[in-house]
Amino acid sequence: MKTFNRRDFLRTSGAAALFAATPGLAYSQVVGGGGSFTDYRALVCVFMFGGNDSYNMLIPNTNAEYAAYAASRQNLALLQSDLLPISPASTGTPDFGLHPAMGGIQGLFQAGNAALVTNVGPLVEPTTKDQYFNQSVTLPPQLFSHNDQQDQWHSLRGNVPSKTGWAGRMADLIRNSVAGQQMATNASLSGASLFQSADETVAYVMGPNGPIQFEGFSTTPGDILNEQRLAFGRVVDAAYGSVYERGYAEVQRRAIDAADTVSAAIANAPTINTVFPQSQLGTQLRTVARLIAVRDELQMQRQVFFVGVGGFDSHDDQELNQPGLLGGVSDAITAFHAATVELSIADSVTTFTQSDFGRTLTSNGDGTDHAWAGNQLIVGGAVNGGDLYGSYPQLTIGGPEDVGGGRMIPSTSSDQYAATLARWFGIADADLDIVAPNLANFAQRDLGFMIP
Amino acid sequence: MIANRRVSLLASVLLGVAGCGGGGGGDTPGPPPPPPPPPVTKAEAFQFLNQASFGATESEALGVIAMRQERWIDDQMTKPASLQLPHMLSLPPPQFMGQLHTDRVDIWFRNALWGDDQLRQRVAFALSEIMVVSQLGALQARPFAVADYYDMLAENAFGNYRDLIEKVTLHPAMGVYLSMLGNEKPNPALNIRPDENYARELMQLFSIGLVQLNIDGTVALDGNNQPIPTYNQEIIEGFAHVFTGWTWRGSPSFGSGRVPVSSQYFPMEHWPEFHDTGEKMLLNGTVLPAGQSGEQDLADALDNIFNHANVGPFVAIRLIQRLTTSNPSPGYVRRVAEVFNDNGFGVRGDLGAVVKAILLDPEASPSMAMEIDGKLKEPLLRLTQLFKAYNASSASGRYPLVGSYILFGQGPLQSPSVFNFFSPFFAPPGEIRNSNLVAPELEIATEYLSTQYTNYMFFQAFGLNHTNENLDEDDIFINFQEEMEVAADINALINMVAGKLLGGEMSDTLRTEITGMLERIPETDTAIRAAEVIYFITTSPEYAYQR
Repeated sequence: MKTFNRRDFLRTSGAAALFAATPGLAYSQVVGGGGSFTDYRALVCVFMFGGNDSYNMLIPNTNAEYAAYAASRQNLALLQSDLLPISPASTGTPDFGLHPAMGGIQGLFQAGNAALVTNVGPLVEPTTKDQYFNQSVTLPPQLFSHNDQQDQWHSLRGNVPSKTGWAGRMADLIRNSVAGQQMATNASLSGASLFQSADETVAYVMGPNGPIQFEGFSTTPGDILNEQRLAFGRVVDAAYGSVYERGYAEVQRRAIDAADTVSAAIANAPTINTVFPQSQLGTQLRTVARLIAVRDELQMQRQVFFVGVGGFDSHDDQELNQPGLLGGVSDAITAFHAATVELSIADSVTTFTQSDFGRTLTSNGDGTDHAWAGNQLIVGGAVNGGDLYGSYPQLTIGGPEDVGGGRMIPSTSSDQYAATLARWFGIADADLDIVAPNLANFAQRDLGFMIP
Repeated sequence: MIANRRVSLLASVLLGVAGCGGGGGGDTPGPPPPPPPPPVTKAEAFQFLNQASFGATESEALGVIAMRQERWIDDQMTKPASLQLPHMLSLPPPQFMGQLHTDRVDIWFRNALWGDDQLRQRVAFALSEIMVVSQLGALQARPFAVADYYDMLAENAFGNYRDLIEKVTLHPAMGVYLSMLGNEKPNPALNIRPDENYARELMQLFSIGLVQLNIDGTVALDGNNQPIPTYNQEIIEGFAHVFTGWTWRGSPSFGSGRVPVSSQYFPMEHWPEFHDTGEKMLLNGTVLPAGQSGEQDLADALDNIFNHANVGPFVAIRLIQRLTTSNPSPGYVRRVAEVFNDNGFGVRGDLGAVVKAILLDPEASPSMAMEIDGKLKEPLLRLTQLFKAYNASSASGRYPLVGSYILFGQGPLQSPSVFNFFSPFFAPPGEIRNSNLVAPELEIATEYLSTQYTNYMFFQAFGLNHTNENLDEDDIFINFQEEMEVAADINALINMVAGKLLGGEMSDTLRTEITGMLERIPETDTAIRAAEVIYFITTSPEYAYQR
């Protein structure tokens, strides 16, 4: 029943030398070093499913650049007078604007608690337009495809199919340092994801309102419902002949083990006065805030939460839907940040966005199609906020970053974005290449948007 | 380590074990009459019916035993489709269009549970998870379109794949869902180019996939051992230009506008002035000439996809995974793909022949069960199997489980996106992934959703049953009167439920644990005893497994 994993292999065969000999994979890192963290840190990934049209989230606000934007986007362009101006610290002038529905993020940006990384996306190595068309660099495969580009953001494995995600690999790297945690490092409120998939650790998937308990189980000795719980557990733990039964039984076992501890802890969470929007994302982030509030009860030191919101695949009716989509993200993240302030934990919690891809600058009539690079948000007390990181492309059709139709080549890679977050999370510099396998292909290992 | 299927199949040949569990044989003409095949057992009939229907029942198993699998399939293929649209049109106009999705789900359950076209309904369901449209999104306001889309899948389940993709392409539900409806020719002055959504997903998800396949479904490699993409951005744009000029039938304008309800269930119609008439690059170097009509472009483009060598193995893998096993051997895929390519009468794309080949293949009912045979049952199929076995109904006669996707992570045409409820490539961490296997259905067997399922079964067994006098008229209850009558006898009770839900086969552990629980329940509490057995079986790993 028990599968033989790499840790067992290391323990029993003295094969550590093999790993020590593997470049970039030192033995101490593979088995997770020892030493525990003295503080608490959490990363919260907000995934915008479908591909956020983020060149309508962050818009140039100087006249020439706005004019180029408007000429490219035509009927999808926002009015310059509607933009919510922001003044990045590096320029000190209101060179950019946010979508008019993102007032919350504008406030956080100006207060120094939000930053954006611009024109970021999956890359294997730095790529120019010429190199793209000459095919003289390695490219991520199946560009512009939803699931492939989602997988690339999740796994950061570029052109190599991957079975682990970057949050999963972080959890594996620190697993010995967080051995006392009552819950897995990775928790999802939005289903199973490659992002949190790992070799040695397993993410815990709960619902938007948190974990649910089993009906008809008790833990009172002598109670028939306690016997029921135990009998149910013995059925789950039995030996099964097929991989499918075993896979299902393993999920049931994890569900039984986690439901009571986590549910009991969250039931005792302090009241959070911050009001969250009554939305899919607001509900999930409210639950994350409640789980963070009981981090000590669960002996948590490092957590990665995955939350998701759909509807961003705006091939149709983009003008109609975009305010609700981006406003929803802004309102929910703003409320979540306020809740972490209320809980006096804002400096230890960082929220960041990911999405399948950016979208074409050109229109298909009333919407946009799949593209490549886009802009991402980072929010929290430890963010070097009030600034933009990475370069912002010329939004000109046929411009230096456009591979056709307004599909922007990333100028910053997802690996650099993730590595910056991973370093803040507590991953050693030498291990960042495990988290972000193509990081070594880029000069800047840290984009600087996090306060160490 | 998981045994390699090829080695084991070889072993079964060497040991002289017949590779066939009762299907497939007996149709070879020739002078020496073959010996009569052994009778189909109840367990074999259950296994087959769990692949070919919405859940095996004892009475349907008798039918399979009497007819054998092949004749049962032939008979099923003659049954006309049980439809949703006529029911939907018979209802009074609702206050909000979206409310009708409750009725759509209701009629889906009625047809899935009680339709005599079980195989057709099951294949339609499989197709609805490959050529996905969903109530969730823009189709919330178009329930008639969604219902009619499902009817279209059911009516074409055993037809030709070429007809099917044309009907899928022109169906307004798909037109809305993947935004081909209203897609128009380029307007360079405004940087407007055709919508690529349908073009991309038609190729990636409905027909050929991203990379070239061998006939056995394995990925073809180039000289550098790399996969070979099936298409590029230029080809997507070619198809995007093909799919211009289509909108609601009877629409007053090409774009949006008020359209009659009937436009939801008639194919889209073509407006030539919105169709791009330039050249279009398609697959395999085909270029459509400029100046063709929209209808001609569409026919040529669908022919171009239909004749791509990937379609046979692609459709074979997708349908095998929905019906029989998550991890078919290359041989199984090849055998089915070859039937797709030629049904024996020179016809390509005969889906009836494909379905038959899938169900009658030796690998669908292996004589030597292996660790990777079969699949996890989808939660909705676990539910329908219980409903069928225990005559689930409500006082109103309705099955208004419109929240199915929230409860189980799955509901009829309720996928979160065109990528279905789960990916055909999903591999959970652990032995499945380490062995390079997949288990798509496990993607929605998360801790959260499997607990919700388990809790639903708890309420179904103990609360939503025929002994409860406080049910609301729409509460779906099961009937275990027969079980209560034998409940004093623990073995008889367990055997009865195991007979109805597991085809009579049950692990020792499950039997022991249920027996232990029943011994704690007074024999006079017959309803509780019956509910206890149903709860334990329906939440067990062995019930979740489809052999």
